[in-house]
Amino acid sequence: MFSFFKNKNTDQNKKKPSYESIKTALEKSADYKQAFYQNQFTGVKFSLHFFTTLIDGKIIQEDVLPSLLSKDFNDLEDLKTLVPIVDIQVSDDESVIEQKLLNGYTMLTMDKSHRKFAFIATKNEMGRKVSQPEVEFSVVGPKEAFVESLSDNLNLLRKRIPVKEFTVEEVTVGTITHTRIALLYLDGLADEANVNTVRQRLKDVDFDQVMDSSFIEQLISDNSLSPFPQLLDSERPDRVASVLVEGKIAILVDGSPHALIGPTTLVEFFNAYEDYFLNFIVASFFRLVRVFAVSFSILITPLYVAALTYHYELIPKDLMATLVTSRQEIPLPPILEALFLELTIELLREAGARLPTKVGQTIGIVGGIVIGTASVEAGLTSNVLLILVALAALASFTTPVYRMGNTIRILRFPFLLFAQLWGLLGIVFCFCFLMGHLMRLTSLGRPFLEPLYPPRLKDLKDALIRFPFYKQSNRPGFLRTKKSVRFSPREGKKKLDIDE
Amino acid sequence: MQPIPESRKISPFLVFFLIHAIQVGAGVLGFQRIIAKNAGYDGWISVILAGITTHILMMIMYLLLDKGGGDLVSAHRIAFGKWLGKAADFLFVLYFTLLVVTILRTYIEVVQVWMYPRLSTFYFALAFMILAYYIVSGGVRNIAGVAFFGTVLPSYLLLTFAFTFPFSDFRNILPVFDHSLKDMLIATKNMSLTFLGYESILLLYPFIKNAKKSQKHAQWGLFTTTTVYVIIAIISFAFFSEKQLAKTVWATLSMWKIVEMPFVERFEYIGIANWCLVILPNVCIALWCASRIMKRITPINQRHSIWILSVIVIGTLSFLTNRKQVDMLNTLSGEIGFYLNYVYIPILLLVVIIMKKVRKKV
Repeated sequence: MFSFFKNKNTDQNKKKPSYESIKTALEKSADYKQAFYQNQFTGVKFSLHFFTTLIDGKIIQEDVLPSLLSKDFNDLEDLKTLVPIVDIQVSDDESVIEQKLLNGYTMLTMDKSHRKFAFIATKNEMGRKVSQPEVEFSVVGPKEAFVESLSDNLNLLRKRIPVKEFTVEEVTVGTITHTRIALLYLDGLADEANVNTVRQRLKDVDFDQVMDSSFIEQLISDNSLSPFPQLLDSERPDRVASVLVEGKIAILVDGSPHALIGPTTLVEFFNAYEDYFLNFIVASFFRLVRVFAVSFSILITPLYVAALTYHYELIPKDLMATLVTSRQEIPLPPILEALFLELTIELLREAGARLPTKVGQTIGIVGGIVIGTASVEAGLTSNVLLILVALAALASFTTPVYRMGNTIRILRFPFLLFAQLWGLLGIVFCFCFLMGHLMRLTSLGRPFLEPLYPPRLKDLKDALIRFPFYKQSNRPGFLRTKKSVRFSPREGKKKLDIDE
Repeated sequence: MQPIPESRKISPFLVFFLIHAIQVGAGVLGFQRIIAKNAGYDGWISVILAGITTHILMMIMYLLLDKGGGDLVSAHRIAFGKWLGKAADFLFVLYFTLLVVTILRTYIEVVQVWMYPRLSTFYFALAFMILAYYIVSGGVRNIAGVAFFGTVLPSYLLLTFAFTFPFSDFRNILPVFDHSLKDMLIATKNMSLTFLGYESILLLYPFIKNAKKSQKHAQWGLFTTTTVYVIIAIISFAFFSEKQLAKTVWATLSMWKIVEMPFVERFEYIGIANWCLVILPNVCIALWCASRIMKRITPINQRHSIWILSVIVIGTLSFLTNRKQVDMLNTLSGEIGFYLNYVYIPILLLVVIIMKKVRKKV
């Protein structure tokens, strides 16, 4: 909070607007109110200035006015003894007026003490209550999700990590929106270099508005030209607390219910936090299913196009018979057929996402059943491809992180084009490009493809397969944490021989 | 030489993949005929012999790097002085460029023969060089990454050779040692051409952390390559008759034809497409080596020299149109590589040692 105002001060020192100029500017707004009063005992005249839309009128009516009007009120300094509110500040600096008023403070001025202002915190805290996670829902585990208010979000995290090392640094970003951004890490655990990277990048951001953490994600990520998100976003306080303890860094943005986590890796985008609530065997199975789903979702339609355009010989004759029967009447070449269906699915998804929930469901049914069946019956697409495309779409939704799911859905289109161009060779060629791209990506300067490349066997314990907790005695190596050991690994290893 | 920043260096164990990846290329698809031509079913012994020579050469190269100031260019400078040294460096630029041309043209040849007879050499080469540029411009770390994935991902292909076992007779390789020593040595020499490429260590060396300790990994890389080749040689000898083998240019691919699974047949298509992953590190490492020497001896930006080299490569490629020319290209680069590695490098080591002593006395 402090740095926030300090920052503002340095900005305003350049111009030093006077009280009068600020006042005339504020008076243009309809919700800016000034009220004049006189104390009954002392006869002191004073006035209150505030934005009716920002403050809680109840506080003024019940806590401020009664004592100011009927008690022994002489001086601005008396406020602190008379009014039962924690945050009361007296200042003679005119430059803070604008900022205070716009942050929900009520300004009190007295004719007597000229050029001195008291600010009483009367902010009206509006916003959602903490509710269930909707994007990263889990059947078991905590059911709290971040909300828009930064202080509520910090509360959710602080109560999970009650140690003094948990550090919250604040900066303001956005030349007009002055959005508060909190940089969170565990001091003495997170790598200094990582923290410095984030701090520096946040400082260097020059943008007029920051409405959500995704703005920050795009502004500070290592390669903003890549379709891949390079910072993980999460709405689960438990997940964020957990990665903080791992030694990562989190960024919270005021007004955004999503925290950013970095440095992250590609593999992490395919891990749901629920994996940690389930038995490690079950969790590992689900992770492998997801990896399979992603590869299936990207590759299946390109493989279909490649096989049916170039490589009939690849398909055994029994399977070929099925394919030929379903494609017999189709006038379009496989690539057009595939593009048509893929675009239909994208259309349905986009329409479903833009429409209100209830209408969206109807669209899903109409699209899924009617368009699908009709296009097969009309002879525009084959049954087999319809199944494949639908499965691929389903598979793409298994990605636990929404942003990554979107990237996955886009990826299949270049693959499709290359499959049409050079068949299987084109698919592998496109894969090489993807691999080269992923290898070049970094998240806060750390390799994005870790632990696959650079290969670090130790970090594979929590990548594609989640090992049991007693095997996870070390923090991820690529984070370069100051304390790499989480707990002494010996304890888990005690094993008794038979019948002991 | 500017010191290489620590963040641009690679872990020593990645040398294993770099060495292994550049050794395995299009050669694996058809080396069997070449060794069987002289040594018959004893060819696998030649593979082992050739493998042993690579180990010795690797030791010589590490010695050269140790004595010669860190890489090939500085060794040349010690041995021949500034201008003659640069001339020798330029020879290696040509050699590595030739290597890129050979690798890529041979692969395109395979694709044209087995998959797409009408694939345009020019356009495919163009696309491939753009890909190679994208990866090489990411630096040695990226090249090592491609080498790593180019080794790990296609490794499953080794399993597919098991499909040939029902049709194989491993007694084919008996009796052992029924060819003359001369025949075996000729086959060994021919085989050693397939193993070429590991001389890239002469330029990669400064980019390795704890470079001196990386020799172990380099030797393991060579050993793995030899093992893979011996296994494939023995499997193919068991599968083909000697006369069949003499007529089969791409024996490995022919073996894949046998693979049959409920959802896929004619596995050679998948094999060839996957081979793209194996060829990519080859091209990238050779291209990087050539451009690295250019960077060391000329003031040209390395990115620009990659562009220049790529244009030369694509230009040369498009002129090689038929099987005979591709064959000639392979023989040519093989011979040059053989003499550079087996004759020139040991001599260079001697000259470096002598020149160092001479300069000390002066």
